[in-house]
Amino acid sequence: MRRPLVLLLAALAPAVLAFTEAEQRAIAAHGPWPPAFAPDPSNRASGDKGAVELGERLFFERRLSANGEHSCSRCHVPERNWTDGEARALGLQRVERNTPGLNNVRLQRWFGWDGANDSLWAQSIRPLLDARELGLSAAQVAALVRGDADLACRYRKVFGSVPAADEDVLVGVGKALAAFQETLVSGRTAFDEFRDALVKGNAAGAAKYPEAAKRGLKIFVGKGSCNVCHLGPAFTNGEFHDTGIPFFIDKGRVDPGRHAGIQKLRASRFNLLGPYNDDPARSTATGTRHVALEHRNFGEFRTPSLRNLALTAPYMHNGRLATLRDVVNHYSTISPDRLHADGEAILKPLNLSDQESRDLVAFLETLQDGGGNYARGPVLQDCR
Amino acid sequence: MKRWLWLVLLAPAAQACELPGGPAEKLQSAAHTILYRAAPALRAGEHFVLEIAVCPAPDGLRVDAWMPDHRHGMNYRPSLEALGGGRYRAEGLLFHMPGRWEFLFELRAGGATERFAHAVRVE
Repeated sequence: MRRPLVLLLAALAPAVLAFTEAEQRAIAAHGPWPPAFAPDPSNRASGDKGAVELGERLFFERRLSANGEHSCSRCHVPERNWTDGEARALGLQRVERNTPGLNNVRLQRWFGWDGANDSLWAQSIRPLLDARELGLSAAQVAALVRGDADLACRYRKVFGSVPAADEDVLVGVGKALAAFQETLVSGRTAFDEFRDALVKGNAAGAAKYPEAAKRGLKIFVGKGSCNVCHLGPAFTNGEFHDTGIPFFIDKGRVDPGRHAGIQKLRASRFNLLGPYNDDPARSTATGTRHVALEHRNFGEFRTPSLRNLALTAPYMHNGRLATLRDVVNHYSTISPDRLHADGEAILKPLNLSDQESRDLVAFLETLQDGGGNYARGPVLQDCR
Repeated sequence: MKRWLWLVLLAPAAQACELPGGPAEKLQSAAHTILYRAAPALRAGEHFVLEIAVCPAPDGLRVDAWMPDHRHGMNYRPSLEALGGGRYRAEGLLFHMPGRWEFLFELRAGGATERFAHAVRVE
């Protein structure tokens, strides 16, 4: 029995033995991918085919904006991994923050850079009502649904009826939009192939992964400790950190980030403790019930997923960094004095060499599925 | 003879401290024993609850956790439900990073406060 084991270890040597056991455990924790679908109990339309179709139609619907020219897809462009390539998003007006991608959005605990919403459906309502983004009122959204025979028909098929109260219709629209976005999942990547090969002891499979990416991965889970925040299959802990990016918007204005996000969450009628949660047990509201508001939350922003990162430039909450190399350089040279962290000691300059920086970028680029995994469905027949 | 008497007196008290449902971590001082269990098993980025038994039952208990190496606590304030007889259930905890965390238990009994810390490794 001993000989086959020795042969296996020898065969794996070039690919596997470059990583310590602890590193291999850390790498394995970034999979498997993709995760299984689990419906959102707070949204009775979650996973419903009709809701997905309605949500997709609404997502690209330009009448869902005050000027009749914008839609969700203006900023969340499918071909750009559901971002827009702008540093700061442009709706009806320019806003302060970068457009986050939507792939894998259903895996998040908090939504938005400041986590001001605790469900994807509540987050989907927010830009509809924001005067700088789509600029509508609940009454205008409800009037569109009621006044369009096809939308009204689809809405009835999903929710049973079009409610009399405008806000109830608005929430249904948010839930249909969420049902559609839940279907946006990034595909498998070169990293996933390597990770699975490593877990299975498949030397041939592991050997296909580029050497530069392996070196970068070793930094990611080792010297860089990037996986302290970018953890798990989605490469995010879903929480909030001050990463030393200035949060001044312009003279005299700051973006308070998570600090204001928690206050908005608590004040929202659409949070998971409110009347629109479809789950009587409030089983996904644990975070909302227990989230703590601390002084240190000022200037904290949500840790983004790293999947398909290469397609979502520019980076950080305000799009301040243009390239992945800029992001790596930021963490390589970060000054702890600039962090507003109440004595926390998480980030230190990585002091990466030029080669190490290139390797880390090479690894990050292997988290990309190549894009193009979304094709808009055919024009739907009118609902009857 | 006196030593044996003490052992006999202490034994029933030690046996009485139980946390049914499986293995539990045990912390002990001269005055109190704490048993606790996390469910589901600790994993970075996931909410969990703590089932706790304190013997003898204190007047009050506070539960928290922090990451000493990073000098920060959790992003959540756990809620604590007293179930009676020294049993408690803490909800809403989440370790948002892998690494070494420390549970903090603060007991109030007879006008005094006693603090326990217990380090755990989270992956």
